[in-house]
Amino acid sequence: MINSSNGMISTSSTSANTQSPGLKTYFKTPEGRYKLHYEKTHPSGLLHYAHGKTVTQGTLAIIKDKPAPSTPMAPPSGFSTGSGVRSAAARLLGASNGSRALSFVGGNGGSKSISSSSSSGSSSSRIGSLGTSCSSNSMINSNFDGKGTYLIFNVGDAIFITDLNSQDKEDPIKSIHFSNSNPVCHAFDQDAKDGHDLLIGFSSGDVYSVSLRQQLQDVGKKLVGAHHYNKDGSVNNSRCMSIAWVPGGDGAFVVAHADGNLYVYEKSKDGAGDSSFPVIKDQTQFSVSHARYSKSNPIARWHICQGSINGIAFSNEGAYLATVGRDGYLRVFDYSKEQLICGGKSYYGALLCCAWSMDAKYILTGGEDDLVQVWSMEDRKVVAWGEGHNSWVSGVAFDSYWSSPNSDGTGENVVYRFGSVGQDTQLLLWDLEMDEIVVPLRRCPGGSPTFSTGSQSSHWDSVIPVGTLQPAPSMRDVPKLSPVVAHRVHTEPLSGLVFTQECVLTVCREGHVKIWMRPGASDSQSGNSETIPSTSLKEKPLLSSKLGSSTYKQ
Amino acid sequence: MGAAGSKLEKALGDQFPEGERYFGLENFGNTCYCNSVLQALYFCAPFREQLLEFYANSKNIGDAEENLLTCLADLFTQISSQKKKTGVIAPKRFVQRLKKQNELFRSYMHQDAHEFLNFLLNELVDILEKEAQAVKSEPETSSPPEKTANGPKHAQANGVSKEPLVTWVHKNFQGILTNETRCLQCETVTARDETFFDLSLDIEQNSSITSCLKNFSSTETLNAEDKFFCDKCCSLQEAQKRMKIKKPPHILVIHLKRFKYIEQLGRYKKLSYRVVFPLELKLSNTVEDADIEYSLFAVVVHVGSGPNHGHYVSLVKSHNHWLFFDDENVEMIDESAVQTFFGSAQEYSSNTDHGYILFYESIGASNNKS
Repeated sequence: MINSSNGMISTSSTSANTQSPGLKTYFKTPEGRYKLHYEKTHPSGLLHYAHGKTVTQGTLAIIKDKPAPSTPMAPPSGFSTGSGVRSAAARLLGASNGSRALSFVGGNGGSKSISSSSSSGSSSSRIGSLGTSCSSNSMINSNFDGKGTYLIFNVGDAIFITDLNSQDKEDPIKSIHFSNSNPVCHAFDQDAKDGHDLLIGFSSGDVYSVSLRQQLQDVGKKLVGAHHYNKDGSVNNSRCMSIAWVPGGDGAFVVAHADGNLYVYEKSKDGAGDSSFPVIKDQTQFSVSHARYSKSNPIARWHICQGSINGIAFSNEGAYLATVGRDGYLRVFDYSKEQLICGGKSYYGALLCCAWSMDAKYILTGGEDDLVQVWSMEDRKVVAWGEGHNSWVSGVAFDSYWSSPNSDGTGENVVYRFGSVGQDTQLLLWDLEMDEIVVPLRRCPGGSPTFSTGSQSSHWDSVIPVGTLQPAPSMRDVPKLSPVVAHRVHTEPLSGLVFTQECVLTVCREGHVKIWMRPGASDSQSGNSETIPSTSLKEKPLLSSKLGSSTYKQ
Repeated sequence: MGAAGSKLEKALGDQFPEGERYFGLENFGNTCYCNSVLQALYFCAPFREQLLEFYANSKNIGDAEENLLTCLADLFTQISSQKKKTGVIAPKRFVQRLKKQNELFRSYMHQDAHEFLNFLLNELVDILEKEAQAVKSEPETSSPPEKTANGPKHAQANGVSKEPLVTWVHKNFQGILTNETRCLQCETVTARDETFFDLSLDIEQNSSITSCLKNFSSTETLNAEDKFFCDKCCSLQEAQKRMKIKKPPHILVIHLKRFKYIEQLGRYKKLSYRVVFPLELKLSNTVEDADIEYSLFAVVVHVGSGPNHGHYVSLVKSHNHWLFFDDENVEMIDESAVQTFFGSAQEYSSNTDHGYILFYESIGASNNKS
């Protein structure tokens, strides 16, 4: 186990109880060892009855070096609809709305003992340790500029915000509890032009946008300055499944729901706008409806599929939107044209997650067939199946920071590194080298006169028409990949992973996050791998603000 | 707008499927093992259809001797011909017959639902086979061996050939496994076929049914004290053994081995492992790359922390709605609630409702069923 100078993380007594002793704290890859650096979790005393009904997701947020607005609590400068925000904030801070309203309660509900010991006391000290001088008695840390890298994760009825660089295991800077519904998904936009950069979606269908900086500046336990959309599920009352900012979308964001609908919102508009959409005639068909009034928010509804949309992902530039769902289909849309381009079905069962490669050439999906699927945009079909998980694949991501140790820089032989996590508690890393994938021998295509679908054709012949969804491929027709490494990282089923320049974050369903340092990321590479001098890490921040633009959450 | 309409009827509203009946079954003291399996079988569309057809036909023949088959057919007919859409039925005759037939089920002890299902299916097959033989021995009806057993592939055997009869129970539930053993000395592969009505799978913590099926078919090396007698080498040899599915059944029944004998404890222990099961499934451990797709339509759930006590309930999919049957009670549940029966990732958990027997029906072959 890792020791740290302040003794706040993973000391043997606590870790032995919470972690299985069988879990190794490192794993080997061709490029070297990844080591468990530290863990993040929620204060265990805050375990709530709602725990278990929600699955923890992790979002990485990098707040760039930018002076804080001089008037915290007020809408950030440049926010055009200030009045709307202000009134929303007032409503929320009142915290005593009608019975159906989604109101906020203090971070610790009725349990005072916890608040005194951990959260409230530490929030100011934590901020203090970031090197900013804070006026400790004030409700607002007006000098706090919030610069840094944060991890946002939901557990039960709460959202936790923790400083990624702090090694405190159970000490979030901020915990925000919600009384009527559980936060289930979130997204952060580090390029947000005005204050609101954090989106939170709820099991009730409600959505909030807030400024993360503003939450950090406020030492209270409520969401501050929030903008409320789909209030009380007025537009759609099914669970939010996935939420994303539209890259370069000028404050537009999309929310995918459990009933197969996706809504497009604009954060600059008041969320109270009257939006009604026509009844969906055919549940099985993709259709887009636009709001009839220019003031409406959401501005559009995309009906994507029957059953839940389980995951969405925008390509890096925002040109394409990929969705995966209960029906097992991956769908790829041209976002601005609102058009289905291509897609295909899983081997069987629902798809649960998806992620783009940085160059938007490949999409990874994971699902209930235990397979990691590699979809090629060029071929418009599945080009590989990764076999190695012993249960459902719940998170996938390309490692955009990884470069092949043997790469000669000619670009001839492009290797993609990606990772996947599953309900089997394993993290798997894979290398995708397109030249090396062995295409299995096919039966003579002319052999069957009924042969018609393009699914079995090789990529150099027939071009699949735009908007066609491929049926599930046959097991023998898809090349198989094996993982480079498979490592059991948690005792609980996993729900997500995030790659950063210096580490890999694994998130489990029950709200534990582990941070694995890449080989070479720490200075103590040689010899003693079991202890990392914490000082070396303090000198070298995990993430510099420079890499902000290329960090992404899958 | 019947005032007598149950909660379930209200929940379904005008979506209540035409001609469908949702009836709870009374518990006669620890007969939930029986009720949960009966509900799963009732909502196994081809099985129910054929059983009702059998009942209709056997009524014409006259009063046959009562047996488990007639009792089951009687019960299913009773449910399907109810005037009301929902309610409670007492499967009294069936349970009495069951207890008469098998002393195992006679006590008021907690019984194993899988054992009951196994016993019931085999019993039904025995009865059908006996009936077929009785019909055969009558000279005037020599053409088809038996009305309900005239499978197209069934070669009518001359004389006393031991060709097994293919009953409709077989047609629904029977699959064929092939046990391939390869002698590592002479490389000879010995294949032995065996039929099954269900697959009993060993389970692991935080795994999926897909993974359990893979393990079921994984190659096992026979060595040391467990060598294989190779007919060709005429001696004990090291060998590799694996099980493959030669003929996938129409109804795939998967039994999770949640009750494991722990030698140190000298007793059975319930494994509460989290084993996820998808709503759609394909078998990859088949002899041919068939890629046959199955759809989950029923789950028998064991509730409780130990093997000798507890409760059984079942989840059933009928006309694209999921229903929860707990003896007398029937409720509608959301599809997403099925995942609450996967098991727990921690050993000690308050959740003790675990999927125990899974019923999948092959889709594609008979697409007309919902």
